[in-house]
Amino acid sequence: MTTETKSPETPSRSRQAEWLIENRSRMTVLAVLIFLFLAAMAGLERDDWFATIMQGLSVGALTFLVASGLSLIFGLMDVLNLAHGEIFMLGAYAGWTVYTRFDTAVDAGVPLLLVIAPFALLPLWRRLANRIRELGVNWHAVLWFTALGVAYLAWVLLFAVGSSSEAGEAAATGGASGPVIFIVTAVFAVGGWALYRKWRTFDGSQDSIDSAMKLNAWSFLIVGAGATVTAITKFPLVIWNAEDFARSPSNFSVQIDLGTLIPLPADSFAWPALIAFAVLLLGGALIALGLSSLRSHTGESTQVNWKHWAGFGGMVFAAIVLYLGKGSLNDWIFGLSTTWRFFLAILIATAIGAAVGAFIEVVLIRPLYDRPIYQLMITLGVGFILIELVREVWGRPEFTMARPAAFNGTGEGCPGEGIGGFFSGCSTVEVFGGRLRVYNEGFVVLMGLLVLVGVTLLLKRTRIGMVIRAGVQDPDMVEALGINVRRVFTLVFAMGSGLAALGGVLAAPSIGLSTGMGAVFLLGAIVALAIGGLTSFPGAAAGAVLVGLIQQIIIRFGQTGISVPFVTEPFKPSPTVVPAASILLMVVILLVLPSGLFGRGER
Amino acid sequence: MTSATLTETTSLAGWLRRRRGVLGMVALMVAFPFIISLLIDGNGFGAVINNDQGNARFLQGLAIEVFILALYAISYDLILGVTGLLSFGHAMFYAVGAYTFGIMLKTHEMHWAAALVVVLIAAILQAFLFAVVLPRVKGITFALVTLGMASVFWIVIQSSDLQEWAGAEIGLQGVKAPVWFLDTTNERFAFYLVCLAILALVFVAYQRIVDSPAGKVFNAIRENEDRALMLGFNTFWFKVLVLVVASITAALAGVLHMMHQPIVTPNVAGLGFTVTALLVILIGGVGTISGAIVGAAVFRLLQFYLDRWYGAASELLIGLAYVALVLYLPYGIVGTWRVRSVRIKEGRARLMSLLGGGGGNEAEPAPPD
Repeated sequence: MTTETKSPETPSRSRQAEWLIENRSRMTVLAVLIFLFLAAMAGLERDDWFATIMQGLSVGALTFLVASGLSLIFGLMDVLNLAHGEIFMLGAYAGWTVYTRFDTAVDAGVPLLLVIAPFALLPLWRRLANRIRELGVNWHAVLWFTALGVAYLAWVLLFAVGSSSEAGEAAATGGASGPVIFIVTAVFAVGGWALYRKWRTFDGSQDSIDSAMKLNAWSFLIVGAGATVTAITKFPLVIWNAEDFARSPSNFSVQIDLGTLIPLPADSFAWPALIAFAVLLLGGALIALGLSSLRSHTGESTQVNWKHWAGFGGMVFAAIVLYLGKGSLNDWIFGLSTTWRFFLAILIATAIGAAVGAFIEVVLIRPLYDRPIYQLMITLGVGFILIELVREVWGRPEFTMARPAAFNGTGEGCPGEGIGGFFSGCSTVEVFGGRLRVYNEGFVVLMGLLVLVGVTLLLKRTRIGMVIRAGVQDPDMVEALGINVRRVFTLVFAMGSGLAALGGVLAAPSIGLSTGMGAVFLLGAIVALAIGGLTSFPGAAAGAVLVGLIQQIIIRFGQTGISVPFVTEPFKPSPTVVPAASILLMVVILLVLPSGLFGRGER
Repeated sequence: MTSATLTETTSLAGWLRRRRGVLGMVALMVAFPFIISLLIDGNGFGAVINNDQGNARFLQGLAIEVFILALYAISYDLILGVTGLLSFGHAMFYAVGAYTFGIMLKTHEMHWAAALVVVLIAAILQAFLFAVVLPRVKGITFALVTLGMASVFWIVIQSSDLQEWAGAEIGLQGVKAPVWFLDTTNERFAFYLVCLAILALVFVAYQRIVDSPAGKVFNAIRENEDRALMLGFNTFWFKVLVLVVASITAALAGVLHMMHQPIVTPNVAGLGFTVTALLVILIGGVGTISGAIVGAAVFRLLQFYLDRWYGAASELLIGLAYVALVLYLPYGIVGTWRVRSVRIKEGRARLMSLLGGGGGNEAEPAPPD
């Protein structure tokens, strides 16, 4: 007995005692946290405590929306998605556009539908790709040289000629069109020579066919992308009208509050509508063809049935209807209450976030499954690109967004009284002597709770949730059981990104929009994740709430000052130091418990 | 045979021969401002010494920025590429050097040598701060903890509580050059030579470190730390050594940055600046020490000229280039060169034989074994 005290089989200890001893550091940390929380509450003014907790929960709910997706993605795929904060930001900007400038959203919908429409005919492109694969080498060469020639001609027509006609502008930007033309022509000549070499060394083996197809695919992709980008810039989008955006800096929100926002008429076409439509369709078709040429499709269905044609036709038809009827659609939407528009914004932004997430996963993360560090690096790069894209597309970095009408009531009987006052239609209510904003502390927290319950139910009660949980445990085993884990990866990535975008829309009316908002919430979410245990979903929720509470309590103490023992002057941290507190907490918790509060042990 | 190799490795002549690439590069870079002054500005050699305005002076400034960035990236390469420690707090190493040196000079009016000693102590201390967490956390958790510590530093440095020392979010400014060879405005060529000399020395030292027995242990830690432990190496102290060396190098880069730029903003402590280091060594080639220098030159020049040509869109282009690099050129420039050097040499030989006319078979190099 004396020699075997360390053995786990010792009968003198009950199971509960074993568990307590195993988790003693975890329990200690929890106890210390609860003690700190109670001490902080005791130190606050009496009528402040409820408001402070609710504000903490509000920040916690937003952080949770970012952290939940991050946690699911990290748990399942071992990818710490550092672009997650930027998807949050993208959600906010997309939501702002739908909410405040619905006309731009409608405008952007037309070219988007046209580019996506050809993807409905994917079997057709696959069949075409297989046909091209079977062509002789000379036909491949014809294809390459045509693509090269089209690209060169397009460049000459669009840039070289265009810049010489705007001679003044060319002079202002350096006017080095002569050498540039020479260099680009030289690059094209070298490309042509390389293509010639490829043509001459083609020997009909499987390898050379594959490499020729790869070249085909890339030339389709490049020409298609070029056509799409060129046509979109020629499309009459209000959003491209920089003057319009610059003229009324963030006045849109004020106008929408007053109900005086009038959609501006679109610019006239730079190209005739029919040509722009055709070029966009062609661009989408070329991109789809290029993507399906990247690998061979033996054994996959290449039959085009009426459903594919219906999908294609439906999207083109929708684009045309949207284009012709966008005036009346805008009028109708702008006539709606801002509450309805806000819910529309939530839906659309979440969908956009999910779509962007799925795109990132399929195109960028999937090729790097065998190089984990590079996945991390690529998400960093994607975040960087998203920030710059937002800056390019939206032009101005910062906006404010008005609260929807349902949460913005003032007048008789406001602020409302008590907890029931949340439903009184006022913008603020008084609860326990503290003043709360219905949107921030009511609606946002409610949405956070809904997502928590919804995702938990999804994880625990559905088949896909079971697959996800099993995937977190052991993806190889799940794959061995015949489940397509890759598809689940894409789904989870899309879902997590959608949740982050939802958080962005919800955050926009309370904290405003800026390109830096993503980084702030990503940091908070990472801290929450690390505190809760990186792969644990309830841990992410608990960590997020903890982060929110700490921030708000520190801010509250920053106003009154913390009385440090033996020092007469109370210590007053400035508001900029606030995030440091939660990060310090993360560092301390990770040092005591490397796998977080709720995480499993070392993996 | 043995004695010949021995003399080659020990004698000065042998050392010079093995380092001829570095020495040639240094000589070229010393001559670089004079060449620019003569060929582009049309001034004499005196213009460089006299610190006259012109392309020579401007390009020296750009080159100094490249040297400083290379110094910073080379230290990150030692941590990430050679030893495989995923640290996201590297910008803190740099910022501590810059801020400590600036505050010591400006607020405490120290002698520059004393300030350098303080920077050295601060660098070693922060390396130990990072090292303290090493036994507890590994992999992604280590990245998070280091990111957390650097973020705390970043937040504290831009808080208004430290306004009088660090200048809050505006940054530290108004630090005068303490000695003539650190004066980038009035004695640019001297400062240029100082930066070049430091970079060359650090580069040679780093190559020496990587090739030493300790360097082999660093690689072993990257490949399989458990196996290195099994072989009897106390990997913790090797990692501490790496952190200390990298911290000192990065702090030195920060000191030079403080001297070269009129103002040091809190951005140099942020995650974005760590990402810059990552980007640089990714361009050059992760784990190849010389890649950091190549990457720094490519990155800084690309950044500068893209900004000049495309303005605001340049950041987007850099981001796209970064993603393309990660996807299609994972070994970087130097890494890819090393992987393909055999094929490139073959191609060059073929080209030479083509230009020489006939006799292609004789010029064919021996197949690689």
